[in-house]
Amino acid sequence: MESKHIRNFSIIAHIDHGKSTIADRLIEYTGTLSQREMEAQVLDNMDLERERGITIKAQTVRLDYRGKDGEMYQLNLIDTPGHVDFTYEVSRSLAACEGALLVVDAAQGVEAQTLANVYMALEHDLEIIPVINKIDLPSAEPDRVKQEIEDTIGLDTENAILASAKAGIGIEEILDAVVEHIPAPEGEEAAPLQALIFDSYFDSYKGAIAHIRVKQGYIKRGMKLKMMATGKVFEVTDVGCFKPQPVELGELHAGEVGFVAGSLKDVRDVRVGDTITTAERGAKEPLPGYRGVTPMVYCGLYPVESSDYDNLKDALEKLQLNDAALVFEPETSVALGFGFRCGFLGLLHMDVIQERLEREYKLKLIITAPSVIYHVYKTNGEMVKVSNPAELPPQTEIEHMEEPYVKATVIVPNDFVGAVMEISQDKRGEFKTMDYLDTNRVLITYHIPLNEIIYDYFDRLKSATRGYASLDYELADYQTSKLVKVDILLNGDAVDALSTIVHKDRAASRGRQLASKLKEIIPQQMFEIPIQAAIGSKVIARENVRARRKDVLAKCYGGDISRKRKLLEKQKEGKKRMKAVGSVEVPQEAFMAILKID
Amino acid sequence: MQWGAYVHIPFCRRKCNYCDFASYGGREEAREAYVDALGVETLVRGQEMVLKHGRPATLYLGGGTPSALSLDQMGTLMALMKSVFGEPEEFTIEVNPGTVDEAYLQKLREWGANRLSIGVQSFEDNILKTLGRIHTAAQAEETVKLAREAGFENLSLDLMYGLPGQTMAIMQESVAKALSLQPEHISIYGLQVEEGTPFFKLQQEGKLNLPQDELTDEMYDYITEYLPEQGYRRYEISNFARPGKESRHNLSYWQDVPYLGLGSAAHSYLDGMRLENVADLDEYINTIKSGSLPLRSEEDPSQQHHMEEFAFLALRTAKGIDKKKFKDTFGKDLRSVYGKKINRLVRQGLLQENKKSVSLTKAGAKVGNQVFAEFLLS
Repeated sequence: MESKHIRNFSIIAHIDHGKSTIADRLIEYTGTLSQREMEAQVLDNMDLERERGITIKAQTVRLDYRGKDGEMYQLNLIDTPGHVDFTYEVSRSLAACEGALLVVDAAQGVEAQTLANVYMALEHDLEIIPVINKIDLPSAEPDRVKQEIEDTIGLDTENAILASAKAGIGIEEILDAVVEHIPAPEGEEAAPLQALIFDSYFDSYKGAIAHIRVKQGYIKRGMKLKMMATGKVFEVTDVGCFKPQPVELGELHAGEVGFVAGSLKDVRDVRVGDTITTAERGAKEPLPGYRGVTPMVYCGLYPVESSDYDNLKDALEKLQLNDAALVFEPETSVALGFGFRCGFLGLLHMDVIQERLEREYKLKLIITAPSVIYHVYKTNGEMVKVSNPAELPPQTEIEHMEEPYVKATVIVPNDFVGAVMEISQDKRGEFKTMDYLDTNRVLITYHIPLNEIIYDYFDRLKSATRGYASLDYELADYQTSKLVKVDILLNGDAVDALSTIVHKDRAASRGRQLASKLKEIIPQQMFEIPIQAAIGSKVIARENVRARRKDVLAKCYGGDISRKRKLLEKQKEGKKRMKAVGSVEVPQEAFMAILKID
Repeated sequence: MQWGAYVHIPFCRRKCNYCDFASYGGREEAREAYVDALGVETLVRGQEMVLKHGRPATLYLGGGTPSALSLDQMGTLMALMKSVFGEPEEFTIEVNPGTVDEAYLQKLREWGANRLSIGVQSFEDNILKTLGRIHTAAQAEETVKLAREAGFENLSLDLMYGLPGQTMAIMQESVAKALSLQPEHISIYGLQVEEGTPFFKLQQEGKLNLPQDELTDEMYDYITEYLPEQGYRRYEISNFARPGKESRHNLSYWQDVPYLGLGSAAHSYLDGMRLENVADLDEYINTIKSGSLPLRSEEDPSQQHHMEEFAFLALRTAKGIDKKKFKDTFGKDLRSVYGKKINRLVRQGLLQENKKSVSLTKAGAKVGNQVFAEFLLS
């Protein structure tokens, strides 16, 4: 198809503002799928995504639409991940488009993440079409929301489309606006191939498959291509587009969006942001913006049953096939045995992986508290990156340490500004800016240690603002901090998996809180268990779990033995979920206790 | 073959605040129909058992509150049971001091009961009120006296500890009072707050004034030390008796002896199978009326299940697991199944072992559940 009949666009929306429903309606309206083929919310096809109402992997779909001018158009919708952990992925998806729908809930207004993504889209010079969704809600205030969009983003909302995806209102208008307002792609068919990879997935038959946007040149089956960042060369076996199932076309041309597959076994060969060109006489320069995978958060994953180690390894490898951002390497803990240190893009990414391991692979896991990457400058001039508190060099060898800071953006109704400030101050945040988005809502930015964000920052924000706060953050820099390691001793033995790195000024209170939280979590056992928190050899807090003194079954009514059996089974099941650390039975959640304090 | 029969009466004048068992406060209109239905079940299942295995050695009429039945209703039931089961050596009826008078007790004795289990719980009136009991301490004492006069030579008193508002001194006074009445048998239970009871709700609201764990532990220590000193041997975790006055029926639950349970929510253990009658009163009555038995089998009767239960139930008794009986029952040595666990628990001081048996130590009895759970194999 000639590129003047192609439109590439994505949808920018906050969670719950109706992105997936709009996508569904567009697919339905253009007849891409029949009603019968429609699952609700076709584009979020992972169970977890559907449950959490978020998109984790980008999905694309090609829609054929006859415009008002009577011409056929090829509309490529690229659905982007909707979470702060996946900012880089979003930026690549946006780089594959010429335009975007900005979907804003008519009752709720603009949220922090939406804003961050809109700014990103503007950086990419995308044409933005505002869509006010859910206008059929009784609480809808489209005029206020329009004003908000004008004030905060500076977009003209005169042509904003009023829609209700749920009720099917405004769908045709959206399609027509896409055709009319979003520019057709540019790019020479005759120029050397440049195709941008904006996502990848693994198919057990075809291997690693790249989602791509052909910027210039073309791709045909049988061509020899090259990944410009990794140098990997492969032959094209399949090339086509999604409708939303993959459809083979045999070729893709400048301006088009689709997929390419070849002799690619490893998803790590297909890096988001990389440029594909031809193996011979390829493009001189890759497309701008490539960045390697950089995990922000690490944690230890250990099987409860040590015999599950290999199963855990297999499961991680399988997940990695589809998720190049997941990194892991073997790790050993004195307390927990053999496991893996895993790196994630953020907390949601971590949650999703953990849940999939437990749900899809039926693994019982012990997860250690998440940690950021510290830069440790040693007295011998060396710098080491530490993501596992247990591996922190002895205090005497440390010259100083740096920790990552982020720029956190919070949007709240102005009643809650005080609460946000109090929490952010408490989290060692440094106030940066405050702007009124409208008469009612405020955008606040803080410079704040990532270490504090991954604890309960967002949870506390949400509960202090009755759920109104929305948060976005991006890595800012590394700064010198006075950090110390707090160790936990159970029954006199240090448990490496419970160590944590905290700011010096809070070490004492964190130690006390952690010890007392552990006291709640660790059940009484046959003997008394002292719990100590220590910095180096100095004990800063001490608690005791009393020995279990009594645990006797009650009266047996009328020979009801099964009631007794059930009680014992429950007891035994509880024990199975615990890990024997030395002589102490420690429940799984103890290793995450640090997240539950304050 | 030795076996026992249990007959359930699911009525109470009012339900106690801690009780989550299958009983109904009130429902007087259903009592007649219930006794009729129970009669039918007794005739059908009772007679079948007697034909197969002879008459039961023990009969236990429990509840609920059996003495909540009117004298007429009780008379009908007793006559029927006598015709089916004859005169068992041990025939116990549970009574609530608030429901019986001189005449009622005399009739029970006359109709064949030879042992009473009297629900006293405490001899402190304020505590009785908190528990939602319908009687006073004085009534409990009077009931013991009347029972003796009626000719009962075998009496058991139920007491509880760890109760809201109970101090060590109050608990000790209740024990002393109980002993002064010279019962043959005493059962003592620690209060457990069960979901769905008024106590549970109070506890959720933070309004249940339970003694501290330490104090409850001390009460337990006091009872388990003091009663044996007074000549009541602890033959099972919660039961104390003068020599020879142990409840045979109660022991049969722990000793793998079969029992037939009749009435709503009654449990049976027959041919290695655990069976359960429907718990709902109306469903029980209607099922029988419609001509079928309200019975379902509870769980898989695998040998493993049987072994686990044999072990953890026997451990409740002072005698413990009888090694020879285990081997006779399963064709395997106890040690070949549980050797490793037993060794460890012996090392931890929770079990003791000799040639014939394995039983709980004093320390083990305190944490019985922990030890029992170790005997589950899967």
